[in-house]
Amino acid sequence: MQTLSNRAPRAAIEVAGLRKTYPGGVEAVKGIDFRVSPGEVFGLLGPNGAGKSTTIGMLTTTVVPTAGTARVAGFDVCTDPLAARAVSAVVFQEAVVDRSLTGRSNLEIHARLWGVEPAVASYSGGQRRRLEIARALVSEPKVLFLDEPTVGLDPRIRYELLDLIATLRATTEVTILLTTHYLDEAERLCDRVGIVHAGRIVALDTPAALLAGLGAEILEVRAQDDPVAAFAALRSQGIAGEDAFMIGATVTIPLRHRSTREAIDALGTSGVATSSVTTRPPTLDDVYLHLTGESLAA
Amino acid sequence: MTAVTTTPRSLSLPVTRHRPSPRITAFVTLSRRRFALSAHTPREILVPLLTPILFADVIAPALAKSTGSIRGIDYLSFVAVGTIGLLVPLSCILGGIGMIVDRESGAQRDLLAAPVPRSLMVFGNMSVAVTVSTLQVGALIVAAVLRGATFRDGASGIAWTFAATLALAVAMHGVAEILAARIPKQEEYVGAAPPVALLPWFFAGSFFPIKALPAGLAAFAKVLPLTHALALMRYGLVDPRGTGLHDIWGMSNVTVMAFLSLAVVVAFAAAMVALSIRVFTRTAVQ
Repeated sequence: MQTLSNRAPRAAIEVAGLRKTYPGGVEAVKGIDFRVSPGEVFGLLGPNGAGKSTTIGMLTTTVVPTAGTARVAGFDVCTDPLAARAVSAVVFQEAVVDRSLTGRSNLEIHARLWGVEPAVASYSGGQRRRLEIARALVSEPKVLFLDEPTVGLDPRIRYELLDLIATLRATTEVTILLTTHYLDEAERLCDRVGIVHAGRIVALDTPAALLAGLGAEILEVRAQDDPVAAFAALRSQGIAGEDAFMIGATVTIPLRHRSTREAIDALGTSGVATSSVTTRPPTLDDVYLHLTGESLAA
Repeated sequence: MTAVTTTPRSLSLPVTRHRPSPRITAFVTLSRRRFALSAHTPREILVPLLTPILFADVIAPALAKSTGSIRGIDYLSFVAVGTIGLLVPLSCILGGIGMIVDRESGAQRDLLAAPVPRSLMVFGNMSVAVTVSTLQVGALIVAAVLRGATFRDGASGIAWTFAATLALAVAMHGVAEILAARIPKQEEYVGAAPPVALLPWFFAGSFFPIKALPAGLAAFAKVLPLTHALALMRYGLVDPRGTGLHDIWGMSNVTVMAFLSLAVVVAFAAAMVALSIRVFTRTAVQ
C-alpha cells in the first residue's frame, strides 16, 4: 500500500486532450481536459449528444480514445486498462443487470470479478438502479462513474438515489464523476462541474462560481409579440447586455450591477410589450444557456 | 468562450492497488454465470436436443427398416452418430441468442468494465456450450441405444468420439460468438442461425457415406470440418475399420487418418476461437 500524502497530490481522474471520433467521422469528444481530485464529486453537464457518455466510456475503457490521455487513479486507460478498471466501477445510464438472476447473484458475480469477497448486500427490494449502485460499491471503488443515473426514474426513487449519492459524498472518500442534464442534481451534489457542449468543455468551475458569473439576480422578460424585436429593443435600451440570451419568447437578462427596480423602470420606457416580467436567482440552467444558447433539456 | 477554473479541495488518500480477480476465478465466475443464465432458460438446452432425438428415435429406425445396413453398420447406429452433427451445431448456434440478450438487456457492459481480460467472457461462454453439448450428445446416445442402436464401448473409441465432439463444440461456439457479435438483433440472428447450423449437415455424410455424393459435392464435403468430426465419431463408435475416414483421406493407416481428421477439426476450432475473441473484443468496445 502506498499513500499520496508524501508526494504531490495525485488526481483521481486526469483527462488531457481527450478526443473521440467514431467511424464515419462523428466527433463525439473534441479534446477535453479536466482533473478531479480524490474525494471530489465532479459533474459533467450537457445535453444529449454532448459527449458525456463517450467520455465515461473512454474512462471505463469501453470506448477507445482517438487521441489524448486519461488516467483513473493514476492508471492510464489505454496502456493499463485492467488496473484502471480494477479501481473503478460504473453505473450505466440504462439498466445493465442480469435480470433473470437474483440480486444476490448479480452482486456476487461483480464481487468475484473485482476480486473482493462477496459482501452481504443490503439492497432493498426491486429497485434495479439501487441494485446497480450497490453492485458498483461492492468492489469499494476509488472512482465511481455514474452515467445519468437518474434518467427514467420516478421522482421518489430519484430523490432516494440523490440522497444516496449525497451520503456517499459525505461519508466516503470515493471520487464520483457523474453525468447529467438535470442541473438541480449537479448543484446539489457536485463540488465542481464541467459543462460539455458539442464535444468540448465550455466551462469548468464550482457551481457557486459559475452562478456568480451571472450576478445575484436574473430578470426574465416574456415578450408579447415579436421576441426578436423585443430583444433588440432591450439591448438598445441598455437593459440587456452581452450576457443576455433569448430562448423562444423569453429573454433572460443577468442584472449584475443594476437593481431590479432600475431594470423594470428601463423596461417600462423601452416600449417593449411584455406578457410577464419576473426576477429570480440564477441557476446552472442559465449558465448553460448563457454559454451555449441551447436548452439543456433538449 | 471563457472557462474559469478553481483549484479543487485536495485529499490525501491511501491508495490501495486493487488486485484484479485471478484469471481462473474470473473464468469460473463467468462460466457459472453463463450456466445460471442458460439453466434459467432450459429452452436453450432442451430445444436443440428435441429434434435430433426425434430424428434418431423416429426417423432413423424407419429408414433403417428399408435400408438395412451401410458397410456392415446397421443404419440406425450409423444415422444416430450422424445426428450428432445436427445436435452440436444447432445447440451451440442457438446458444448465441443468449449472447445477444446479454448485450441488449443483460450485464455485458458491466462485465466489460471488469478488471479481467475480455477474452475470458468468450471462454466462459464456451465452457458452458461445450459442457451442454457433451451432455446432449450423451443423452442422444442413450436414447439411440434404448431404441436399438449398438455402439462400441472401448476406451479409445469413446476418446476419439469425445475429442471430436469437444473440438466440434468449441468450433461451433466460436462461430456462434462471431455471429452474435456481428448481428445486431435477435430477430436477425434467428434468421441467420439455421443455415449456418444445418447446411453443413446435409453435405457431411450424416445419412450416407460421402462417396455416394457426386464428385464435386464429395470434394466439398471433404473440406467441411463437420465431415471429419462425424467420420471420427463413427470410427470411435460404430466403424472400427474407419471407412468414413478412408473416404476422406484414401489412406490405409486408420490411426493416421483419425489423427489427421482430428487435426482438421482442432485447427478449425482454434481458428474460430481466435477469430471469435478478436471479433468480440473489437465489437464490444467502440
